[in-house]
Amino acid sequence: MIIRLWIYFFKSAFSNILNNRLIHLISIGTITISMLLFGSFLLLSMNLNNWIKEWGESLSMSVYLKNGVNEKAKKEIESAIKKLKGAEIKGFISKEQAMINLREGLGDQAGLLDGLEDTVLPASFEIIFKERRNYNVDPRSIKISLEKMEGVDEVQYSEQWMQRFEGVMDVFRIVGLSIGGFLCIAVLFITSNTIKLTIYSRKDEIEIYKLIGATDWFVKIPCLIEGSIQGLLGGLAALLILFLAYAAISLKTINIFGLPVINIAFLSIEGSIFIILLSLTLGFFGGLISLGRFFRS
Amino acid sequence: MIQLFRVSKSYGTNKALDDITLRMRKGEFVFLTGASGAGKTTLLRVIFGTAKPTSGQILIDGINLSRINRLKLDLLRRKIGFIFQDFKLLNSKTIFQNVALALEVTGERTALIRKKTSQALKAVGLSGKEKAFPLELSGGEQQRVAIARAIIHEPMLLIADEPTGNLDPDITKEIMILFRSINMKGTTVVIATHNRELLKDTGQRVIILDKGRVAEEITA
Repeated sequence: MIIRLWIYFFKSAFSNILNNRLIHLISIGTITISMLLFGSFLLLSMNLNNWIKEWGESLSMSVYLKNGVNEKAKKEIESAIKKLKGAEIKGFISKEQAMINLREGLGDQAGLLDGLEDTVLPASFEIIFKERRNYNVDPRSIKISLEKMEGVDEVQYSEQWMQRFEGVMDVFRIVGLSIGGFLCIAVLFITSNTIKLTIYSRKDEIEIYKLIGATDWFVKIPCLIEGSIQGLLGGLAALLILFLAYAAISLKTINIFGLPVINIAFLSIEGSIFIILLSLTLGFFGGLISLGRFFRS
Repeated sequence: MIQLFRVSKSYGTNKALDDITLRMRKGEFVFLTGASGAGKTTLLRVIFGTAKPTSGQILIDGINLSRINRLKLDLLRRKIGFIFQDFKLLNSKTIFQNVALALEVTGERTALIRKKTSQALKAVGLSGKEKAFPLELSGGEQQRVAIARAIIHEPMLLIADEPTGNLDPDITKEIMILFRSINMKGTTVVIATHNRELLKDTGQRVIILDKGRVAEEITA
């Protein structure tokens, strides 16, 4: 009997959707847009987290030298760096090379540097610590010890920038969660109103069902299935659009803050399932809210 | 089968039912009559549970309507057939679907629903019209669809509100014969009508309402 009833409920839900095609299409479209925005935030947040994690694995450090540093001091600094566990000198950048690099980095706006001497920038050793966690590298103590050496002006490492970036990410997460919460409420509102409209359009029919002995749940379940289907289709459509957009974007190299970012990942299976389930759940609860209102009235 | 104890029902200051105490036995055939506004429809509605009495108690087959929850009332309605004055058919569904609905809500097997629906339509003389829609039928035929839907689950109680109000005398006669045959099978039948012609020589119990009160009772 239970299977028979569920077949009836699904038939009834699909028939209601087909009979109110336009209203359901509008609702699914709005849910799609909401879930697309939500999914975009999730995708961006996930990729930024991945990048932070990847960058955090390798630490880069710049040891800036004072003007007029002699060769002896330079050799001592180089040998001190070589003694650091896990450190690898990527290269020595002379003052002239630093200016060339800056000019290249500025591209069309390199003209801004016209009139400056080629030796205005400091020379530096560029160091990279690969697999830093294996060597237990503490960038702060390295910075302090190197800055004590003769000829070293300043030591900068990528983690300082990373810490600032993580702060920005925290703000981004809070904003994302707030927008996500707002979008969830919007989806609930949209679904509940669509279901409400379809329920009111079938008010006479529901009255007849009740008069011939239908229980409240006999009327409610097809409406809840309707809401869930709306949510499911909206979530699937959002995911499909997001994937197509991702496929189009990932073919190009994107630059963020002047750094080329090559590995853009799509949402994980869990992330994709989360979006679909969230959308479906919101559709279900949207239906439940409108049914509650209808039966109370 | 039906017991009413000092039942009153008011709509604002208007008293639709005023202190009614009645008893209808199992298998009885009862007519409720009276002028328009006498309280016939309200009395049927409180018996069916679609209106709550302002005061008093109603027992249907021993179940006190004021003490049952919504679910139990829904389940009780499956044992009662109600024929509405305006038929209350779904115009978007076929005749077959309209009649079958009363069994679908109970979760009955599809094969049994098909069999019983065909039997009910045959009993009201509508075999061959299964695929038609209500608006394609005459008033009399629509009334018979409503009757088929009300009797498909073999109810213990059949209530009809002005079942012949819109029908010509020949069809009225046919419908009344149908009600009698249903009553003969043991179903209690309560019919509200203002048509005095219908009551002539019936030999059945007649309750006459006036201003919400039982004005007179003619026993069978």
